[in-house]
Amino acid sequence: MAGMSVQAQGFLKFERDTVPLFRGFSVMVDVVGPAQLLLSDRGQYEAALVANLHDQYFPTLEVGYGRANHDVDDVTKLSYKTQAPYFRLGVDVNVMKKKHTGNRVFVGLRYGFTSYKVDVAREPFEDPVWKWNTVFDVVGERCSQHWAEGVFGISTRVAGPLRLGWTVRYRMRLSHSDGLMGNTWYVPGFGLQDSSALGATFNVGVDI
Amino acid sequence: MRAEEVKDIVMKMAGLALGALLLILLAACSSIDCPIQNTVYTVYKLRGADGGEAKLADTLHVLGRTAKGDTVLLNRGVGLASFNLPVSYSHEEDTLVFLRTDTVGRRAIDTVWVQKKDIPHFESVDCSAAFFHELTGVRCTHRGIDSIVINNRNVNYDPTTEHFHIYFKTAL
Repeated sequence: MAGMSVQAQGFLKFERDTVPLFRGFSVMVDVVGPAQLLLSDRGQYEAALVANLHDQYFPTLEVGYGRANHDVDDVTKLSYKTQAPYFRLGVDVNVMKKKHTGNRVFVGLRYGFTSYKVDVAREPFEDPVWKWNTVFDVVGERCSQHWAEGVFGISTRVAGPLRLGWTVRYRMRLSHSDGLMGNTWYVPGFGLQDSSALGATFNVGVDI
Repeated sequence: MRAEEVKDIVMKMAGLALGALLLILLAACSSIDCPIQNTVYTVYKLRGADGGEAKLADTLHVLGRTAKGDTVLLNRGVGLASFNLPVSYSHEEDTLVFLRTDTVGRRAIDTVWVQKKDIPHFESVDCSAAFFHELTGVRCTHRGIDSIVINNRNVNYDPTTEHFHIYFKTAL
């Protein structure tokens, strides 16, 4: 692609130099999500495709598969299962003064969405007042959520095309549907259900 | 080694260290956030013949016909303007026995049947299972009770909702 010929420099404008606009892609995978799955009852597998525009703008597509399998809780006797894909779409901006070093400090925004089904169950129990045998069993409750994320992160090329980086994210729920049962617990790609949540990724990938 | 290279290595090491720290913190984070108001019951509001608020001078007991016999749900209520009664989690119809005794010892016993749809309600795996309800019907005998009508069908954690308006006969 031809070299840039821009009129001005600044935070949101391309640097004035001869570096091409399109600088390739990075493919990244997150290791925090699998670690969460290993250490707890919920987590996700996630990969990202990042386009590099002049080492300054990074349009990003993140796709993942979130899963929660909370077995019968010791106290409440509830179990919770869900698994579903999700995606996030957004852009990062490299805020480093020297943008072409391979290192990046960036801020960004994401829009995320997931549609998922939830199973919640409890072993049959006796109604404490009325003494009837009671079954609490929700199967395949259809839920969905839209959310936005503010991202701050660091990424660096460590050797050859190998790239490492991390991000921290503030997630804000935009809208959600939790079916008839009132609330959900783990939302794939978002984390534990709330109006907002904090998240993080530790990414390993390659520049291509 | 040039300053630029040193800065580069420091940045990479900082990235790795912070990443590992974040991973550990995320794995360690958890919180429990259950609602404080977590009881589900129906509110019966007494009304007079003119539709205004009323009080019952007589003494009222309410029993529930449970799977294991009768149990007291309201004991010796006097001067009541309203009262609360629990709802069964998942039985299609609750049967209640209202025992009204006036000041000279005359008694009237009524049976009230409440039909409802039960809706499992979930907050979190850390919070106990609950049921909300949609009231679908109510009927009663008429010895001491004139009538009962549904005012609001939705029974949930909200304790301020008047679900039933109950009209007692003025005298036994």
